[in-house]
Amino acid sequence: MIMIAGGLGIILLSGILALALERYPRTADSIFRWGVPAGCLAAIWPAVSLLVTGALPSRPTAGEVFGLDALSAWFTVMVLGVGAVTAVYGVRYLERERSKRRVGTAHLLLSILIVAITGVVTAERVVAFLASWELMAIAAFLLIIFEREHAEARRAGLIYLVVTHVSTIALIGMFAAWGPGLPGGGFQELAIAAVNHRVPVALVLGLGLIGFGVKAGVVPAHFWLPGAHAAAPSHVSAFLSGVMIKTGIYGLLRVLSLLGPPPAWWAWTILLLGLASAVLGVLWALAQHDIKRLLAYHSVENIGIILLGIGLGTLGQAYHHPALALLGFTGAVLHTLNHSLFKSLLFLGAGAVVHATGTREIDRLGGLARLMPRTAWAFLIGSAAIVGLPPLNGFVSEWMIFRGLFETGGTTGVLRTASAAACGLALTGALALACFTKLHGVLFLGTPRHTATVAPGAEQGLINPQLALAAACILIGVLPILVIPAAAQAASAVLHDSGGIGEVVAGASVTSAISVAALALLALIAIVWRLRARVAYVDRAALGPTWGCAFSQVTSRMQYTASSYAGNLLMVFGPLAGTHRVVGPGTLHVHAADPVLDRLGRPVWSWVQGAASNMRRLQTGRIFWYLLYVIFALVGFLLYLWFVTAP
Amino acid sequence: MIAFPVFPIFTLLIVLGLAPVLPGIANRTKSALTGRRGAPVLQLYSDLGKLWRKGVVYSRTTTVLFRLAPVVLLATSLLAGGLLPLDGRVALLSFPGDLVAFAGLLGLGRFFLVLAAMDTGSSFEGMGASREVTFASFAEPALFLCFTVLVLATGQLQLAGMFGVPLAAAWPVAAPSLVLAAAGLFIVTLAETCRVPVDDPLTHLELTMIHEVMILDHSGPDLALILYASSVKMALFGSLIVGVLAPRAHEQRVLAFGELILGLGLVAIAIGVVESIMARLRMNRVPHLLVAASALAGLALILLLR
Repeated sequence: MIMIAGGLGIILLSGILALALERYPRTADSIFRWGVPAGCLAAIWPAVSLLVTGALPSRPTAGEVFGLDALSAWFTVMVLGVGAVTAVYGVRYLERERSKRRVGTAHLLLSILIVAITGVVTAERVVAFLASWELMAIAAFLLIIFEREHAEARRAGLIYLVVTHVSTIALIGMFAAWGPGLPGGGFQELAIAAVNHRVPVALVLGLGLIGFGVKAGVVPAHFWLPGAHAAAPSHVSAFLSGVMIKTGIYGLLRVLSLLGPPPAWWAWTILLLGLASAVLGVLWALAQHDIKRLLAYHSVENIGIILLGIGLGTLGQAYHHPALALLGFTGAVLHTLNHSLFKSLLFLGAGAVVHATGTREIDRLGGLARLMPRTAWAFLIGSAAIVGLPPLNGFVSEWMIFRGLFETGGTTGVLRTASAAACGLALTGALALACFTKLHGVLFLGTPRHTATVAPGAEQGLINPQLALAAACILIGVLPILVIPAAAQAASAVLHDSGGIGEVVAGASVTSAISVAALALLALIAIVWRLRARVAYVDRAALGPTWGCAFSQVTSRMQYTASSYAGNLLMVFGPLAGTHRVVGPGTLHVHAADPVLDRLGRPVWSWVQGAASNMRRLQTGRIFWYLLYVIFALVGFLLYLWFVTAP
Repeated sequence: MIAFPVFPIFTLLIVLGLAPVLPGIANRTKSALTGRRGAPVLQLYSDLGKLWRKGVVYSRTTTVLFRLAPVVLLATSLLAGGLLPLDGRVALLSFPGDLVAFAGLLGLGRFFLVLAAMDTGSSFEGMGASREVTFASFAEPALFLCFTVLVLATGQLQLAGMFGVPLAAAWPVAAPSLVLAAAGLFIVTLAETCRVPVDDPLTHLELTMIHEVMILDHSGPDLALILYASSVKMALFGSLIVGVLAPRAHEQRVLAFGELILGLGLVAIAIGVVESIMARLRMNRVPHLLVAASALAGLALILLLR
């Protein structure tokens, strides 16, 4: 714990110095650039060694406020790993902003956010957990409104602030329902209360689902997410989308680990919510034409995929299939890590594009691969990974979840119907392929749609963090054996059952089969590439214009755009996607509204406002009435006491 | 286990070698049924040889991605072939859930081919790419529903485990489901191999093309790689259909493999027959057909879950 605390201290100190030394930008930047990764490295070390050696301390150690078990360690590694990369990227990304605003504030807030989230995933007591949770929420809010001169950012920040407090209130309710009268408020005591059956399980799980689901961005509580993540500076978006929303996933898993096997209805609810989030998330993403909003909607999709894994795990618990439970939870935690890697990679790539061109409109860009080739390759790897294609990390975790879904087919009774969800996951994957070929194709390929000026060397200083994340995606995809045992440990911490780990590790031959397939694929690509270069006459290549099918006046405006590319799919899924098309002379625009925010959120909100203004009638401003209220309240309490104590 | 898998490699090589015959059979069937002489069955071999010897023309708009795409497409198709048990029992590479890898590999090939189309900056190729991903989004769930049916019917999670004995044992109890799944697979095959009624490989109008319009700018060896990969894809999906309809559990391995070759020929003939008795569907009707494939597989699933 000392190392973690020390590391977090270094991170905080770097943030404070970055703000305090604002007048000496070079010093401030280099302190932040080196201090945060150093602190992350120090703090990540105990978590990694815990996961690698598998030495689980008896959990939770009595009296500790913060502590580590395999589940905490897994999330700690994710938070600090991605945190270090985004912080390094942020230094360069915000350099240019220095003339406009106090950049040090953003650095300090990011370091506070990293520390707060580490606190969330390591807290061992209710109060510590909720305090870290709230610190995280506030730091994230301030980062979202960092560019506060944009009305859009202020509005997104406001929605986020309201929604995150709904989450906090639900969590306070959950803990209150769980352990009234528990003196220490330690997680250990909550677990004991659960064992003794003194917990209203349905209430706790319901409130937990609201509190953590809202934070994770599960449909229909996702509507705060795209606006908030798009408004923040790109490296912060990467951290929010890649890491912060995962605290919701951590919370769900932690509640499950303390509460024991949930009832079957809850497991089915999670599975269905996961399916809905996955399919709707990718569909809404398809309709976006703002890079960052598109990526943010994909977080909704991936949270859905993670929930499918958790749903499988809880179904396995509820119907007593330990192997299925372990498979589901392992897939879920692995996808959590994978998503944090490729989503932050994609956001950093998007940030580099925004940094270079100054626009987030996909349809104004194009042909960037020539100007920013390394960003284009890194983005390609991230895209293939998020679609779940081999040989990358997204495939490994989606394969595990698919395998779990198929595994339910081998069981008996109602559990078998879960296998039909494989169809939904396949639809999600195919739509994600459509969405990312659209994004990568329109951004980086073809010819520029508008004359955006990209200075040479625009990716300098921003590319290394992306390459590091891309390397991690490839590494996990080719050698999943590096992370699967650790993921299985984190999963078995949820199940309190280390018996199944042997099974997964015995399944190592399976993961090595994936490695063989991945390596065979890379080798085959290399062989065919060489063969094509050696045997065929590709050196006789001639260059010419793209064939215009006998039309010679081709302009870059004739290229397919994000709107027209997704048009076919959105026409089919129209009402579900919440889009409407505007076809004008020579133009096509697809307007993407968020169905939940616009059709559900606004009416409910205006109703709340109406109710609130009705409440205003109570405030007459005359002392007489206020005295009367006090008397009414006292009488009310007395009556209540009389009823309660009456025999 | 450790022994060098001679027979699977042998069968895979034969199937890969014979793959270009399949489009030839389909086209020959079509011309025979429509009263024409048609091109020779082995036409694709000559086309491939000719293209391979030619030079290439690249658009100035394209990047390395454009040259890499045909290579990735072929590599993924070849590796996907390694996952299929061609003699009905043993595959070159097999692990639980390898059907996900099968679909994932084909997805990777599609990902690159579509990006290569976008790389040219041509509106026609963008149109083809958009159509390709649209129809794939409907074919993919249908394929996975068929897979789920197979998993439920056999209780096996790997392709090599499910064909052969488990599937032969499943036929007496789950015949209706398996027939429906095979029908669903056949529709998916028509879509994946770009045949009528989804796509017309012989059309000459760019506006009505799907697959062909995506590869307009590919020439020479690159085009040869793509054409060959498409024929391999037809062989792969054909093998799946043959595997479902004719599980070979007890024959000699050589005989079982021979039956596969025969079955592949029959699938190609069936594709040719469909092409000659149907017109291609209007673009906006294609999703209906593919949803019908999902519906067939879904019905099969419900019958199994009963």
